[in-house]
Order: sequence, then C-alpha cells, then structure tokens
Amino acid sequence: MISEAFIPAVSSLGAVALALGVIIHFVSKKFHVEEDPMVTIINDILPGVNCGACGYPSCNQFAEVLVETKDSSMSCPAGGSDLAAKLGDTLGIEMAEPKPQIAVLMCQGDNDIARETAEYMGIQDCWAATQAFVGPKQCRYSCVGLGSCIAYCDFDAMRLENGLVVIDKDKCTGCEACIAACPTGVLVMQEKKAERYFIACNSHDKGAATKKACDAGCIACQKCVKVCEDDAIVIDNFLAKIDQEKCTACGKCIEVCPTKVNCIRLEHDLNAVKQKKAS
Amino acid sequence: MKTFNSGGVHPPENKLTEDISIEVMPVPSEVAISLNQHLGKPAKPVVKVGSEVKKGQLIGEADGFISANVHASTSGKVKAVKPHPHPGGQYAMTVFITPDGKDEWAEGCNTAPADWKKLSKKEIIEKIRDAGIVGMGGAGFPTNVKLSPPPDKSIDTIILNGAECEPFLTADHRLMVETPDLVVQGLEIISSLFEGKAKAYIGIESNKPDAIAALKKLAEPKGIGVVSLKTKYPQGAEKQLINAITGRTIEEGELPFDKGCLVQNIGTAVAVYEAVCMNKPLIERVLTVSGMEIAERKNIMARIGTPFREIVAYCGDMTAKTNQVIAGGPMMGKALFSLDTPVVKTTSGILFLNNSRLNKSRERTCIRCSKCVEVCPQGLGPWLLANVAQLKEFDEIQLYGLANCTECGSCTYVCPSKRELVHWIKYAKALVNNRQKRKSA
Repeated sequence: MISEAFIPAVSSLGAVALALGVIIHFVSKKFHVEEDPMVTIINDILPGVNCGACGYPSCNQFAEVLVETKDSSMSCPAGGSDLAAKLGDTLGIEMAEPKPQIAVLMCQGDNDIARETAEYMGIQDCWAATQAFVGPKQCRYSCVGLGSCIAYCDFDAMRLENGLVVIDKDKCTGCEACIAACPTGVLVMQEKKAERYFIACNSHDKGAATKKACDAGCIACQKCVKVCEDDAIVIDNFLAKIDQEKCTACGKCIEVCPTKVNCIRLEHDLNAVKQKKAS
Repeated sequence: MKTFNSGGVHPPENKLTEDISIEVMPVPSEVAISLNQHLGKPAKPVVKVGSEVKKGQLIGEADGFISANVHASTSGKVKAVKPHPHPGGQYAMTVFITPDGKDEWAEGCNTAPADWKKLSKKEIIEKIRDAGIVGMGGAGFPTNVKLSPPPDKSIDTIILNGAECEPFLTADHRLMVETPDLVVQGLEIISSLFEGKAKAYIGIESNKPDAIAALKKLAEPKGIGVVSLKTKYPQGAEKQLINAITGRTIEEGELPFDKGCLVQNIGTAVAVYEAVCMNKPLIERVLTVSGMEIAERKNIMARIGTPFREIVAYCGDMTAKTNQVIAGGPMMGKALFSLDTPVVKTTSGILFLNNSRLNKSRERTCIRCSKCVEVCPQGLGPWLLANVAQLKEFDEIQLYGLANCTECGSCTYVCPSKRELVHWIKYAKALVNNRQKRKSA
C-alpha cells in the first residue's frame, strides 16, 4: 500500500523538524539581541534607498545613530523638511531645519546649441567617451551627453534630452550620488531657493574659444559683474559665478547677458514644490 | 627565431611605405608646439606672446622631475599660448609660432658633431635632459629619468627597440636603413652610461631584413647583438621585447629596471646622438603617413608642431572616403577629432582609413570563446575585465589584474563579438582612478 510507505517518511521528517524547532527556540532565547523598537520605527519613516547623502552607508545605520544620540543636527537630505518634522515628532526633539539642496547642470549645450567634434562610435558612456577624446561636444567642460549619471540616481530624477541631462526639480532630493559619476564636473549642488539665479556654464576657456564651441557659453564679458549691486558675481578663470549667499535675486544680470542663448538662468525651486503640493 | 612566451596576434602588416625614403617636410605656415608631449607634468611656458624665438630655443621648461623641456622647431614670433587639440585626444597648452622663414638656429645649437667620449656621465645625462628627449615609441617617458635608475638597481641588458610591430608604421624601419650609424652611436652613448657592464641588443622584427643587415654590419663588430624577432604583435611592447630577448618576465607592479633591463626606441637613440654630439634639441621626428585614403604615402621628417592639416596637403590630400584619421598605429593609436592637431614627440605616424577597415558594427555579448585569453600577451582574461567593468564592479576588477593590461589591443582585434575590450578596460581604469582620487580627497 502507498499509504504505508508514507508513514516512515512523514514521521522521520516530522521528528527532525520538531527537534530543530526546539533547538531554534532555545538558541533564539539564549542569544537574543536587545533592539530598540524605536530604530525600527525610525527606519520605517526614512526613505529606505540607502543613498548615503547623510554620511551613513544605510538608512538603518542613520536610524541607529539618531536614536542613540538624539542629535538634532542630523538630517536626511533626501527626506527634506517634512521628514525632519516627522522624525522630531517621533523622537520628541526639535530637529534642525535641513537646507534642501538640488543637483544643477551647469551647461545648456544641447545638440542644437553646442558644436560637435566628431562622430563617436565607441562605448556609449561619458567616462568611456572622455577616455577616447574630449567628448562628442567641442567644449571639454560641457555635459558629455551620454548620461552616465542617470544610472546613479536612486530617485528617477534624471533623464537625457537632446544630448543634455535634465534634472527633475521635484524628484531630486539632493543626495549627491550623481556628482561623483560625472567626468567633467558639470553637475554641482545648490541650495533650493524661491528664486535662484546661476550661471549655467562650466567653461573655463577664454571668451573667444567658448563662443566658438557653444552659443550658450559664458564669455566672461564682465557685464553681469558690473551691473550687480550686491557684489554677488565674480569672474574666476574666465567663468562668472553667482554667490548664492549674497544674491538678492534682483534679476538685473539676466537682462544684460549678451550671449546668444542667455547663460544666466533663473529657477523657481520652492514654488515648484509648493505648487505641486497645493494641487 | 625569438619571440615572447605567450599570446600575440599577426594582423596584416600593410608596411606600404617601407621602401620610401625619408623626405624632409618644409617649414609649415604655422607651428603649434604642445607643452604636454611626455608623461608627467606638462612643461611651463617660458616665452611670452610677441617674443621672437630661434630654432632650438627653449620655450617650455620641465616642471618637476618627471617632465621634459620643449623647444621651438623653427624661428619666428610667438603668436599665442592657449589650449589646443592634442593627439592624445584632449586639449593641452600649446605655443603657436608664426615662422619668419629664416629658420635660424639658436646660439650653440646644431654644432658640428663632437666626440661624446670626452664627456662625463653626468654631462651626457644633462645634455639629454636639456634637449627634452622623451621615449619616441609612444609613451613619451622622459629619457634622462629612464637613464638614471635608482642606485640599488643594476642594469645588465640594454635593448634598442626596432621591432616596430604596429601595422603600417615604417618610421623606425627607415631610420635603421638610412642612418644605421647614428642608431649605433646613440646606443653606444646609452651603454657608456652603464660603464660597459651592460650587454646591448637591437631587437628587430624579421620582416625588415634590410634593417637587420644594415645594423649587423655596423653593430656586431662593436659587440652589440642584433636579434631577429618573429613578426608578431606586440613584439615591440617593452615587457614583451624584454621577454623575447632575455627570457625574463616583468611581473605586475615591476618596472624593467627591477629585472636589470632598459629599453629605448630607435628614434630615441638617434635623438640622443644628435643631442649629445651636436647639441640639437628634439625638434623634429620621422613619421609615416599611410593608409588607404591618402594620395601619396610617405615617410616624412616633420617638425614638432606641424599641424596635421599641412601634412595632409603636403601628401596630396586625403580622399572623400576617409572615415578616420589615426595618430599612431592602428592597434594602439588614437582617432583624431581635429586636423588642427599638431605633431608631437610621440607621433609615429598618421593613418587615413576608410569604412572597410573600421569596426563599425555594434558590440554584441561575450560568447566566452576565449580567443582574447589566447592572444593576451600579459596573460589576462580581457573578457572578464570588460564584463566586470560593464557591471561597474570596480573593487573586484582590480583583483583580475586591471593594472597589468598594457592596452595593446590584441583582444579587441580578435574578438568575434566585436566587443570593445580595451575601451572597457580604459573606462575601468579611469573610474578606479576617479574613486581613489575621491577617497584621498
């Protein structure tokens, strides 16, 4: 009979399972690790993408340190002020207001604006392209336009459009993961502001060389420096730079910029976030 | 016949210019002399815009120990000092000189040949350093640094590299055939620095019987061995050449002097002779202009700083079918992005290739056929390095001997899946460097 053949198998396996179960029970009692339940709660609030922007390798480690030290200056850049408030409520402390940052591409040289060097047939990756030559665009400081940084974004905030990386202002959490992935250093972090003026160019070439390579390049003409009443703009190595601390967002610089495609850009970071929330 | 112990390929030799004698190219309408023609730090410019310079005058001073002097290759006026395309694919600071047509030598340069035997060891090395001589085979390592190994390393073998294993290139071949006496004298000067304790060899691939014969006649009475090597790529790579001639293997992380060897290029030996005996700085070099798409293939003696555009015009223009212009050989050379790029000390040739020679099909996946493993002269697994690089595992890749790859291109040449193996390896090296830089910053 078939059922008779089952008896020894089921009973022996059952006995083994029972014995192991008993062992596991005792081992788990004996080697029990006391864990603060708060860590689990905090860990659930955190974004859980382990982006590393806070300085800890994982969200769990951030939670452990936060629960242990209750340090109010610790912040999760990816979570922003909403998360800081939530963490503060949960732990019963006043968390410092984090300064939200955003990754900014200091280049407007898309396939129409920037001149190309030569047809590139190699590996479609910014690092590979810059090993072979200056890159598909004549300006060696520009966005290479092959999107190596996109794979490093955990928040789906980057995409490639017409040979230029586009950053979604609402999705970018300022985790800085993309910065190290860029071979030309054209991605930088800036603090989110209601009105943020910046020079969207990274070229340290002299004016004539910049103009030859791109219509949107900063030619270091000094016009914006002269018109700025707050001394917020300086030219360093043939590239203008706006000091975000000093800038009062008067908007005069953007009117005098003589380049074909204005190299000074105005972004409304906070409004964009608020509008989205309101809707 | 001697050869290295493992790997290698034999691409079509295409030595189309091997019987064409060296032609001296006239002074171009403008010279653009790059200040970064060597390994190490670029030279510091020592001339100002508007100043007059003479042929052979110092225009860029070596900046640090591993760096080299740069000299004006004709007389004229400095027009500009600005970044300019470099055959390495990047931009480099470049001194532009508008020639005055007189082509006057600076004082003390290009004197009548003097006897080098009267000079001390120190004086010889100083002369080589002052003349800005670097390895002319391709890497451009400053020769005076290579000739002064640390005192605890003893050199017992000096090898002159006449293999010229890259297809198309015949610059060293012509030098050996036309001026074998200068080659041998240059080698004698180099050997004298090691007080005759080192045995000197000249390694030449067997596809250059005329060069072997010419050098055997001159070198063998002087105790210099002329070794005929099997025609196989990369016979002229430093590590492979040492292995072929002495049987020694340079392990990972070692330099040739760790195994008592010193390798110099044929062009470098001639430059050493000219610098030591004639006080002539390195301001011109022989290069091969070849490929399917150039009207007149030539071996030319061009001044450092000659724009490639003028060489194209001098050789009767390229055809409309030209799809790629390469500086150097087809295996290790770099595709150019601008014909304004000037000749530098390491430019061994310019090739004009069409579509049929290009690997235009897309990369496919690795089929694990292991052809790349068979041909790798360094005994690596190129497929593994490329696949791991593609997966961005930059910690793991260093365990597979990434640093040991010499980027000779044999693996990419044989890959039936058209994988860009060397390009992936270069990509991995760049990212490993970037991570180390960020970690130490």
